[in-house]
Amino acid sequence: MAAPRPGPEASSPGGLPVAVDAMGGDNAPGEIVAGARRAAEELGIPVVLVGPPDQMGDTGGLEVLPASEVIAMDDDPGSSVRRKKDSSLVRAAEAVRDGKALAMVSAGNTGAAMASALLRMGRLKGVVRPAIATPIPQLGSHPAVLLDAGANAECTPAMLVQFAQMGAAYASARYGVEAPTVALLSIGEEKSKGTPLVKETHALLEDAEHVRFVGNVEGRDLLRSPADVLVTDGFTGNVALKTLEGSLRFFMDALLEVFASDEEAKAAAEVMLPRLAPLAAEFDPDGIGGAALLGVDGVCVISHGSSNATAVVSAVRVAHDVAAAGLVDRVARSVAPA
Amino acid sequence: MPAETHVEKGPLGRPEVFELIRDQLADILEIEPGSISESSSFAEDLDADSLALIELVEGLEEELGERTVGFRIEDEDLEDLRTVRDAVDYVVAKLGTA
Repeated sequence: MAAPRPGPEASSPGGLPVAVDAMGGDNAPGEIVAGARRAAEELGIPVVLVGPPDQMGDTGGLEVLPASEVIAMDDDPGSSVRRKKDSSLVRAAEAVRDGKALAMVSAGNTGAAMASALLRMGRLKGVVRPAIATPIPQLGSHPAVLLDAGANAECTPAMLVQFAQMGAAYASARYGVEAPTVALLSIGEEKSKGTPLVKETHALLEDAEHVRFVGNVEGRDLLRSPADVLVTDGFTGNVALKTLEGSLRFFMDALLEVFASDEEAKAAAEVMLPRLAPLAAEFDPDGIGGAALLGVDGVCVISHGSSNATAVVSAVRVAHDVAAAGLVDRVARSVAPA
Repeated sequence: MPAETHVEKGPLGRPEVFELIRDQLADILEIEPGSISESSSFAEDLDADSLALIELVEGLEEELGERTVGFRIEDEDLEDLRTVRDAVDYVVAKLGTA
């Protein structure tokens, strides 16, 4: 672990902007446009907003790529991408495909974002199925990369090996880790533990190319990961991720309740809360910057549906940084035969 | 032949439709074309998920749209296509009526 994250740059490769789906998410377009403006102003990253110009409000002079349709959060992913060809999500993916944008960011319908990226940018040669890589915060180190976080509910061992390879490429691009380590999520450290999928994957990972496999980890290790990359199938990964999010939120709420319980606790809160704030910020999803779809021929960062302006700023920064670090080429090389 | 239909590359017979579907599926699923037969089930034999099928549909529309204007696979018909044979039958029928 360790190693610094590559810092955001003041300019984009080729001067290309990051395409932001202005209509994606529960707080669109207001918070999304506000975040895009902040990203441009605070980070110096060029941004193009994608969506219906008459619905975006004040864009602060940002470039706008018109798109007349919107894919709703509850639209069917596959059919909506086919049906709504002039949607903000589809147009954002096309901007990347056509070389008009460096990367795309959306806080909208996750499945549709994935379908848009897959169908418009295309799959990288050799990739069986794209996977969603999401950062898991760690104390005193860069986050670990968990994948798949929900793109593929059912997986084969060969798919999980590719997730390991792609996840390692992502850890390198995003966190500057030179030789990322990989662990497999299971119900015990022993290779004999787990489902047939886990046991077969363990055997394959021991001999896999481009993978520094360190063995199995359990769910309790997620926040103290011994590896840079945590591999699992999309069903398990999504359950693990949502369990973590819910647990952390519950813990924070419970802590605040205790601090508000009587006068002595309130006095203690005045001392403790400022000290806890940086810790809370480290685990705040808004600051983490979204999940990346790996295995497509372009950079696609998917932010959570309730993203606010700060989350959009983080997602734009991540999209820019990993694109500038050559994420797509790294992933392509990671799955190529040696 | 309907007015909106034209053929640029010559008509496709059933064997050519099967080859087209097989080759596109092999590319999408990263498997050998020889492992795909008409009786292959998308879900059970080929592990093709819904997005893989949509990739196939878009690929077929792009390829066949160059031959037959207006060729389209309707989303509501997708759930009826469970095997490669179903897809071949569907495309052959569509090409005959597109």
